[in-house]
Amino acid sequence: MLSFIVLMSLVICFSAILALALNFQWGLGGMINFGLAGLYALGAYACAIFILKLNMGFLSSTLLAMLIVSLVCALISIVTLRVSEEDYFAIVTLGVGEMLRLVVLNEDWLTGGALGLSGIPRPFSSIIPSDIYIYFFLAAYVFVLFFCIFLINILARSAFGRTMRAIREDDVVAATLGKNLLWARARIFAIGGLLIGLAGSMHAFYYQYIDPTQFSNIVVAYAIMAVIAGGKGSNFGVVIGSILIMLLLEGSRFLKEIIPGLGSDQLSAVRIIIIGVGLILVLIYKPNGFMKEYRLSVQ
Amino acid sequence: MIQIIFNGFVTGIVITLPALAITLLFGVLKFPNFAVGAMLTLAAYIVFTLNVLFELNLFISTIIAAIFFGFFLIVIDQITFAKLRVSGSNSITLMVCSLGLGFVLENIARLIYGNNAKSFAIELARPFFFLDIRMNREQMITIIVSTLAMVFMYVLLKHMSIGRAMRAVSDNTSLSLVRGIDSPLIIRWTWFISGVLLTIGGVLIGMDRAIEPPMGSSYLIAIFAAAILGGLGSPLGAFVGSLVIGIVSELSTLVIPPNYRIGIPLAVIALILIFRPQGIFGKPNIKK
Repeated sequence: MLSFIVLMSLVICFSAILALALNFQWGLGGMINFGLAGLYALGAYACAIFILKLNMGFLSSTLLAMLIVSLVCALISIVTLRVSEEDYFAIVTLGVGEMLRLVVLNEDWLTGGALGLSGIPRPFSSIIPSDIYIYFFLAAYVFVLFFCIFLINILARSAFGRTMRAIREDDVVAATLGKNLLWARARIFAIGGLLIGLAGSMHAFYYQYIDPTQFSNIVVAYAIMAVIAGGKGSNFGVVIGSILIMLLLEGSRFLKEIIPGLGSDQLSAVRIIIIGVGLILVLIYKPNGFMKEYRLSVQ
Repeated sequence: MIQIIFNGFVTGIVITLPALAITLLFGVLKFPNFAVGAMLTLAAYIVFTLNVLFELNLFISTIIAAIFFGFFLIVIDQITFAKLRVSGSNSITLMVCSLGLGFVLENIARLIYGNNAKSFAIELARPFFFLDIRMNREQMITIIVSTLAMVFMYVLLKHMSIGRAMRAVSDNTSLSLVRGIDSPLIIRWTWFISGVLLTIGGVLIGMDRAIEPPMGSSYLIAIFAAAILGGLGSPLGAFVGSLVIGIVSELSTLVIPPNYRIGIPLAVIALILIFRPQGIFGKPNIKK
């Protein structure tokens, strides 16, 4: 039971960072990212490839993976050069995500294709004794998560954070006040990309094995649900949202005992249906989530 | 070369009807509907059920399924999007809702019918040659059915009161309300017509490839590319856009690996958004 809680907490850590990334891009910046799954895969694969094929250290691999995802995100934001409607942006990000997944699936020489990549070593696993390693690993992941929240909270309260919220509320007004929309949007998306790359790398270290099925579009649904349930714009809320979603997800594994006679395909279908219905219900009945966004109050 | 262009033409024709459905839904409801892919899948499975399990003729199955699916979409709209419209949600919320709805619908199909590919009960026919172009009977049916549906949609939108009302709502929702157009009724009609178009589209895709859960969502990007290329909200544009997307992505296989064909519609979207955001036939949308 204890090891189950530890493993769950590890999963929650990197899922929460992914949700934080979406919260930064969408909750704070107002730019929805439906390509999250593909970008997440890019982060995980980049990190794994740097480690396995180029024999790089875990730290430099993670940093490079973050930079690569961030660069791709910045490039995506260029298409908003002339249309600022979210509608088109959603379609473009969805397309880029699909494209990245196709690359992962088809470039066997680099990504192992459908078989994936295995044997990704965890950081410091050769130095620390294996019986206490998992606790060290958990401590490191929790530290990274809180460090990310800390940095993003600083950023959200800075002048740039105010610009972001201004653009989210009304881009025309923000532009009239002299804010460079394209540059600001590229930065918002790129910073979100850093977090996505980080979450992807942490995913690769945790599972030590990655294949394309881990990065289906359901990842987007989880992250969106975590952001909405936690309250858009609230970083702590998003962490709580992630915990709730993961409990719901792991809880749905026990469906097998409740509804007998379900095959594994059908079981996964039922779980996705639950996620989809949950997403719609949260949108209809709890659109503002459980936590409020940070606001400056006037005294 | 002519063969490739013809194949591309058929690929384009296949996505015309879904692209038209997307553009109609976007025009009236003002958000891109990501559930359209899953709707295509579910509609194809409904036709499959009537056609294979109840052993009805494919033509009759399609008609029954189209009417049923039209009403089904009206109900779906009432329990999801209508609630969000009432609370005045923005288009992102509606998009996210459509994404969730897409997951639900696609996996209902997966839950009932499993992951294995299925096909309609139609006897195989030998491909024939016409002007040195190899074509098969399914492609002929696709061309004829889509053309008829397009002509019908043209008449409906131009010359029937319901079509005129749809164009009015799509053009300026509040003005149409002031002029006494019952917009909830128009929204229901739009869903019904989209349901019919998506059912026919689903059958055509199912005949072209196979019926399997991801069949609809694999076309989603191409459908959106077609609709954006023609200008979201412009029915004629959806038609032309589909043909261009079909032919260009088929020609692209001469230079890039076929696995990456999906990249072409994506590149088209990116270029269109940078150089002509309103599409070929769309009006520039000036923000207040």
